[in-house]
Amino acid sequence: MRCFNPFPVIRADLRRNQLLAWVTVLLVALSVASGIAVISQERALRQGSARAADDFDVLVGAPGSGTQLVLSTVYLQSQAIPLLDGDVLLQASAAAGVNYAAPIAFGDNWQGHPIVGTSADFASRGGKLAPAQGRVFQKRGEAVIGAAVPLAIGAVFSPAHGSQRAPEDEPGHADAAHGGLTYTVVGRLPARNTIWDKAILVPVEDVWSVHGLSGSHAGETTPHIGPPWSTRQLPGVPAIAIKPDSVAAAYQLRGQFRSTRSLALFPAEVLNDLYLTLGNIRDVMSVLVSTTQLLVLAAVLMALLVGFLARRRQFAVLRAIGASRWYVFSVVWVEVLMLIVSGAVMGCLLGWFGSTALSYWMQSQIGFAMPVRLGATEALLVAALLLLGAVVATLPAWLVFRRPIAEGLVSA
Amino acid sequence: MSGKGELLVRDLRVRFAGQEHLLFTVSSLEIAAGSSLGISGISGAGKTTLFHCLAGIAKPNNGEILWDGTDICTLRDDALGRWRHQNLGLVFQDFHLIDGLSALDNVLLPACFDSWRPPAAVRKRAGELLDAVGVATGGRLAALLSRGERQRVALARALLLQPGIVMADEPTASLDPEHRRQIGDLLIGLVRSQGATLIVISHEHDLLARLDRRMSLAGGTLQLDTDQT
Repeated sequence: MRCFNPFPVIRADLRRNQLLAWVTVLLVALSVASGIAVISQERALRQGSARAADDFDVLVGAPGSGTQLVLSTVYLQSQAIPLLDGDVLLQASAAAGVNYAAPIAFGDNWQGHPIVGTSADFASRGGKLAPAQGRVFQKRGEAVIGAAVPLAIGAVFSPAHGSQRAPEDEPGHADAAHGGLTYTVVGRLPARNTIWDKAILVPVEDVWSVHGLSGSHAGETTPHIGPPWSTRQLPGVPAIAIKPDSVAAAYQLRGQFRSTRSLALFPAEVLNDLYLTLGNIRDVMSVLVSTTQLLVLAAVLMALLVGFLARRRQFAVLRAIGASRWYVFSVVWVEVLMLIVSGAVMGCLLGWFGSTALSYWMQSQIGFAMPVRLGATEALLVAALLLLGAVVATLPAWLVFRRPIAEGLVSA
Repeated sequence: MSGKGELLVRDLRVRFAGQEHLLFTVSSLEIAAGSSLGISGISGAGKTTLFHCLAGIAKPNNGEILWDGTDICTLRDDALGRWRHQNLGLVFQDFHLIDGLSALDNVLLPACFDSWRPPAAVRKRAGELLDAVGVATGGRLAALLSRGERQRVALARALLLQPGIVMADEPTASLDPEHRRQIGDLLIGLVRSQGATLIVISHEHDLLARLDRRMSLAGGTLQLDTDQT
């Protein structure tokens, strides 16, 4: 075969048929972008949600739905969950292999930011999470805020009842909501890229008190906050977050608190079920995306075929003036492949940008960051499309290759 | 000077596609290298089909077409393409330039069929040819050229690789009278200057009259014109 250069003709064709070229590239790009967005979003959701659960090794709640417990605790989604008996907190705090057992009590908010009653141990994640500013609360009436809470250190605010922001929940109205209780911000936690960045952490004793529940340290002359808890009249809590000393302890604790009185779980267990569902959805979406890609390729092929047939005289002339069959085959094949490659590259960029934008929006809606990275699956998707494109491109190229010159020259 | 382009045609028979009925026959035709032949005939007589046969674009049903001793009817497609590329320059009635390429790139196009980048000597010749045919700005897109200019560029393209044979099918038919004369002058002058054989199919008596021999395709046979008998 002779060495040749088909690119002058390809360049001229693309210049003359810009509309067809752009439409082709855009169709392929949109098809690739949608595939990449579906795959990367599913992965980002999985990774983001798993990271959000990192702070909750073992969760204990009242018997019921594990999913509800995880959603309300890990993702602070407003769910009506039953309270756990207070003595379970006592048992958890005293159990072997427990680093800390922190109550998680919610029900109030400040301007839509959930106020979570807990212990200082949980606020500092057992001393592993130092505040970015200030310190963790040390007494009642103090609060440590998440990175995304718009309050300054030293600011004083009043909680409002409910997990959601109410219409009257504006500055100046909150006193009426919770009888004059105020918190002073003493610290700000570093960004964790989870919904907890929007949360305000306060001593659980304040949450109990404001809701009319008995104090946990009743009878103490100088009541402290957090453990050790009083063994008398310890109010119930929606959930307990347990930090075990070891993996073995985690399994032991989960077994220990799985009873008729409490439910214990690893959030990862619940997430695995969710991921399974997500994976199924992704599979369905992948089939839809693949079907779309096939349809797009078919549409592109038809459009290109019509375009090439309209130029059959040009190809006949090329052959008449000395071009080989392989020259015209290359012109068509390379041209189609260039359009598909361009579309695939543009699609990768569009998919990545689109997925990233969607992640930012999702983060604002669901609270946890969804990191978007392109992985092997997306590379495989693009490679499959390119391979299919290379095969598909041979059809118009072959038609041009086989067409007799004289027939092409006399065609209109 | 190529010094090539001797044609010998024997017992050529061409039928209508898919039919037994003969379109035309050429029992014998000889053209010396470097000479010129004009072929005329009424519409539908088979002039273009004869043109295609002589150029190796279409195959006759019978007969031999020997260019410099090579029977192009026996060549396989690839070899035929190579033969056309090395020996033949074609000029068409409708120019058949590639609109998206500049005039210069159109002229250089045949050189891209057997090289990635045309050699410097070929690029120099392309420029000279454009000068010779009077197209000063080779950078202009072919789509922006006038019809006369397009045919000049097509002529330069046909001559780029210094073929031993130049064939033109109605090269002046789609031009106005002024351009007809100019293109005719250029075609005959340039082909003669490089010593190539020229075959022109045309209705233009003025153009044909300037060629060495004139023949007519009529009644299914190729005959020498009466003014030469």
